Amino acid sequence: MPFDNLAETLLRGGIAPRHVRRYLAELREHLEDLTAQQCEAGHDPEDAAVRARARLGSDHELAAAMLEQRQFRSWAARAPWAVFMVFPPLAAIAIGMVFVGSLVLTGKYYDFLEKNAPPPPQWFQILATDVVAAANLVIMPLAATLFVAIAARQRLKLIWPLVATIMLLALFIHSDVNFLPRNKVSLVMGFAPIFQASAQKTMLENWPLIAAQYLLTLIPLFWLAYRRRAQA
Amino acid sequence: MTDDNSFMSGLPELAILRLLQDREMYGYEIVQAIAVRTGATLSPGEGVIYPLLHALEKSGALKSRRKSVNGRSRVYYTQTAKGARRLSALTNRWSELNGAVQALMGGMLAVR
Repeated sequence: MPFDNLAETLLRGGIAPRHVRRYLAELREHLEDLTAQQCEAGHDPEDAAVRARARLGSDHELAAAMLEQRQFRSWAARAPWAVFMVFPPLAAIAIGMVFVGSLVLTGKYYDFLEKNAPPPPQWFQILATDVVAAANLVIMPLAATLFVAIAARQRLKLIWPLVATIMLLALFIHSDVNFLPRNKVSLVMGFAPIFQASAQKTMLENWPLIAAQYLLTLIPLFWLAYRRRAQA
Repeated sequence: MTDDNSFMSGLPELAILRLLQDREMYGYEIVQAIAVRTGATLSPGEGVIYPLLHALEKSGALKSRRKSVNGRSRVYYTQTAKGARRLSALTNRWSELNGAVQALMGGMLAVR
């Protein structure tokens, strides 16, 4: 591809992927116009392509022009500490809300969560237990995948997705559902530092699930490290 | 956009805003028009115009839309009211600079 090296330089320079895509799309269109113009001027297609590319500017010139526009740098390049330290827990909670929220909506739809409602039927109890178990298994891995993907896409140093993954592992995001006496349903989601006694108790009680959750959370990071090593 | 600190930094911006004052144009058209109007005096690598167009758009001086003409899809740029004000300010600045340079050169020629 004619602009692969340029794209790589811009991404490594911190330019947001959407600005890189737009720049390259317009450069491609400009190059087509220049090539057509050179062909009309009587040059054979191969010669026309070379002349057109030279008129467009060298990779160095094209990269420098974009890199000096610092407003096109991505947030991850400008403030990686914020993106990879603050957002991981928020992203995990947002993903968790999708699971828990869907359960709450289902419960509300069937009036299972009303104050004087009859006990929820068996199917809802099974569904709620399974959805919460699935949420516990995938929330952290999905959030870790998101931040590894951001780092991979923007060619950021491996330290940043590592920080995000550690944040997720250390915060231990967990949800729980209980069907209590008097037809009450308790549905909670939250996070607690792993060194807290309550978190450790939950981890010990559910250790096979937690082990799977932690392993899945680490996989995206290992994948990126392997890919970077293979490319080096 | 930031204020101009050097002689040349505002010139491509001035040229773009002046050309888009008349009608909407796409990048290739703008570059060709600049080359024609300046007798190719201003002819950097043609592709370097796009970061400047994007920056002007981001600052609100231009707006863009993708449009198909004769089967070719291109991004067309138009000047906004903010762009018109920016053009006016840049034109004044360049007129002052031009006057100052003319005066300087006139003085130097007289010394010779």
